[in-house]
Amino acid sequence: MDNKLLRMIAVIELLAIFLIWELLAVFQWFPTYLSSPLAIFKSMGELWLDGDLLNHIGSSLFRSLMGFLLVVIVGVTLGILAGYYRRVGTFFDPIVNTLNPIPKIALLPILMVWFGISDTTRILIIFLTAFFPCFVATRDGVKSIKQVYLWSGQNMGASTFQLLRKIVFPVTLPKIFDGLRVSLGLTFVMMFSSEIIGAANGFGLGFLILNADLGGRTDYMFAGVAFIGLLGFIFDKLLLTIRGKVLWWDVNKA
Amino acid sequence: MTKKNAAMEIENLRKVYSTKNEDTVAIKDVSLTIPEGKFVSIVGPSGCGKSTFLHIVGGFIEKSSGKVKVRGKEVEKPGPDRGMMFQESALFPWLNVFDNVAWGLDIQGMPKKEKNEIVERYLKLVRLWEFRNQLPSQLSGGMRQRISLARILAFDPEVLLMDEPFGALDAQTREEMQVELLRIWSESKKSVLFVTHDIEEAVFLSDTVVVFSGRPAVISEVIDIKFPRPRDLNLYKSPEFRDYRNQIWDLLHQEHHKPVQIVSEVVNG
Repeated sequence: MDNKLLRMIAVIELLAIFLIWELLAVFQWFPTYLSSPLAIFKSMGELWLDGDLLNHIGSSLFRSLMGFLLVVIVGVTLGILAGYYRRVGTFFDPIVNTLNPIPKIALLPILMVWFGISDTTRILIIFLTAFFPCFVATRDGVKSIKQVYLWSGQNMGASTFQLLRKIVFPVTLPKIFDGLRVSLGLTFVMMFSSEIIGAANGFGLGFLILNADLGGRTDYMFAGVAFIGLLGFIFDKLLLTIRGKVLWWDVNKA
Repeated sequence: MTKKNAAMEIENLRKVYSTKNEDTVAIKDVSLTIPEGKFVSIVGPSGCGKSTFLHIVGGFIEKSSGKVKVRGKEVEKPGPDRGMMFQESALFPWLNVFDNVAWGLDIQGMPKKEKNEIVERYLKLVRLWEFRNQLPSQLSGGMRQRISLARILAFDPEVLLMDEPFGALDAQTREEMQVELLRIWSESKKSVLFVTHDIEEAVFLSDTVVVFSGRPAVISEVIDIKFPRPRDLNLYKSPEFRDYRNQIWDLLHQEHHKPVQIVSEVVNG
């Protein structure tokens, strides 16, 4: 009941914004480079029919999701080790504390020197940005595990590997998902940033937006932005759905 | 050296907490022998180190010096030869009751058929077999502790260590749990080292009550409780029970008289 109401308010809010925007555009109170919702919607349709859109989306998703996959594997593993072993944590602390505040996009020129204008460079920059929230959340989650869980495991004769895999990992999963959700959002932010290099040829929503800019098609630019937003939304919901399935036992508490 | 009928032997156990400025002695050279098949409780004022003592026997906390042996084998780290029950529920919230009890057997790589039989036997022993598919969070505190007990008995430790396992329960549930524990214990007859701050609980359950004095912990008295078994809750009403209770109460409160007098002097002065 409450959820339904909130969802209705959200829809009405969005519709109201679009309506006002549309009216401002129709009465030409807005400069034309701000386009209008209907024009953008129409452009989205044109892009869809054009055929290249799926290639753009496919390329962008490949980069984002490869970066995200690396975050899941490397971020969670290192986070667990850094949280569980004090020495590993101490080793990573200065590295993380120095690198975390750097805008990772500043590393893009360096990566370009190393790996050229390539998907390797793009995936790495996405990974470097999205790694930190996942790593930090996992590490802190492991650090806050109740001691009795670990003691119980040891009491039943579990090896360290069994403790990590069968106690530390599942207990920390809610925190890991929290971190991954922030990371996932960042992969979509960085996906666009990484695609501003080598935009002249190739596929990707970032390319699409930049090329539309060069062609003076404001509506296409907005359409590209809308597609990124849509993808981000869909994958966020997907992550939440997986979270709900995996953490079914946590639902009662929430 | 090792006495043949001793389940647990603790010799000159000492625990010192060291900080930069000072050393605090928490346990001062305590020696204690728990005979095979006996139920021994430790009572003492809170913060006296009785729980630390038990955690050292469990291998969870390092000792400073002395010896801890379980059936002749020296204790260095936690292990399945000593089943430890904690005050707060240590059940894993992401596993149902069945999988919680099966956890220690899974770790050993026990075949499924054998594992299922053992889990069923102990869940039936604690009378919670019908709840096997529930999550721990769906059960009451008393039920959770019964499942903890089943989980420990399932991996068949040589001795049981219990750290105020009913401390978080309300008075009535606690009494029910005491009766349950005696019933279950009478079927397994494992040696038990039980820590509690509740004098009556210790008298009701134990063959022997060991009274710890305040920090640093030393043994101030060892009292044999000579009630026959099986025992039931009517025991609480008997005059002999009162006598044991009062005796231990006096021992515990000798400690507390000193600070009370100091306070009253300050008030009067």
